[in-house]
Amino acid sequence: MTRPRASSWILPTLVLGLALSGCQLGTASVAIRGKELFQTCVPCHGPAGAGRHEVGAPGIAGMSDWYIQQELRKFVSGARGTNFDDLEGMHMQPMALSLASDDDLKAVSQYVSSLPQPRRIATIHGDAQAGQALYATCIACHGVNGQGNEAMKAPRLAGVKDWYLVGTLKKFKSGVRGSNPADPEDVMMHSMTATLADDKAIQDVVAYIETLKP
Amino acid sequence: MLERFLTGASTYSQSIDHLIFLIAALVGFWLVVAEGFLFWLIFRFRHREGQPSQYITGEEKHLKRWITIPHMLVIACDVLIIVGAVKVWMNVKQTMPPAEQTVRVYAQQWAWSFQDAGPDGMLDTGDDIRTVGELHVKVNTTYHFELVSRDVVHSFCVPSFRLKQDAVPGRTIAGWFRATRPGTYDIQCTQMCGIGHSVMAGRVIVETPEQHARWVQAAGSPYTAQAANPASHTHASLDLSTAPGAEFAEVRP
Repeated sequence: MTRPRASSWILPTLVLGLALSGCQLGTASVAIRGKELFQTCVPCHGPAGAGRHEVGAPGIAGMSDWYIQQELRKFVSGARGTNFDDLEGMHMQPMALSLASDDDLKAVSQYVSSLPQPRRIATIHGDAQAGQALYATCIACHGVNGQGNEAMKAPRLAGVKDWYLVGTLKKFKSGVRGSNPADPEDVMMHSMTATLADDKAIQDVVAYIETLKP
Repeated sequence: MLERFLTGASTYSQSIDHLIFLIAALVGFWLVVAEGFLFWLIFRFRHREGQPSQYITGEEKHLKRWITIPHMLVIACDVLIIVGAVKVWMNVKQTMPPAEQTVRVYAQQWAWSFQDAGPDGMLDTGDDIRTVGELHVKVNTTYHFELVSRDVVHSFCVPSFRLKQDAVPGRTIAGWFRATRPGTYDIQCTQMCGIGHSVMAGRVIVETPEQHARWVQAAGSPYTAQAANPASHTHASLDLSTAPGAEFAEVRP
């Protein structure tokens, strides 16, 4: 009787190994894939996802997974980032289209939401006390502490950079965002911003939001 | 001939194809002749029984002719190419046939947006139609375009029109095209412009007069009119109010 030769099990093992290496992503690989995909975001949103004011890229680190997915899907479908005057949105829209699949979209959203929230630096000066009264309108969806509400599709506001909130409220007010029926949340925000009379009101309410603890 | 690979859909696409073909044919001819001659020489003066391979310095007059005569012939071909190229350049870039419609093309990182002059044919009036990512044009109509960049250098390229033009920040660059075939064609950026350069795409939709009229009518609907309101911007560096055409406020009465 001859001993089984080494080659008799090496080949099947190799084949099995190769076959398994092509298998669907596990949890660990989703995180790795998300980190890989995030490299595309880094030039504008920064290596920590903290955002860059000079290019209008908001801090995205630590935003809720569901919210990032929701907005990325809006960019992919063209519901967001296709307004003639929304220059920052038009930056983002083609970048979102570079996500090849829904799995990739989920992976990068998950990764971004896992990043620690960036530090806040005040860049605007509003009257937080006057803002508190104005914020009453926002509570129904965004919550008393600006923590957001997935059921209402309302993102967290506490901890979001003030310049981004001011810019976005102005876009909502002017209809640069919130004029496309394909984006019902934005349409709602467009009408909600009617309660903010002018730039000062916008600055005040943002000043108040900045006092909320994320 | 190139049309077999890429639709030609503008009046000058053929003349550009012919020019490319002329250059390829002349240069290709000389490539084959020169390489063939080189290999023939290698074979002809190879090492043989009783005779080593020969080194010829080429200083004698009868040898130098093998250089000078082809040289003259190549120069003659060069002149032919230059004449052809200048003719096409004059026709495509240097002369503008009278405009029947005008459109402004905005390039930005990483999207194309357009301002159609609308029914009155004048830019920056109330009936302008502003779109993002899609340029709608009427077939067999001469369009003048004003190309502007909102940030960095881009290049407006419609391969099917054989059209390519750089957009330079701070400058308004004029050009023209006349589409000959209804259909949807790609717009791409052909100047490296940042991380999203490869995804900076758009479409030009060439329509029949009826289709175009329908589009113009639909573009005047309340949603578009509202969306086209200029915005108050948060970033001075990206402020559209400094861009041409930002001064008008309302779209259509």
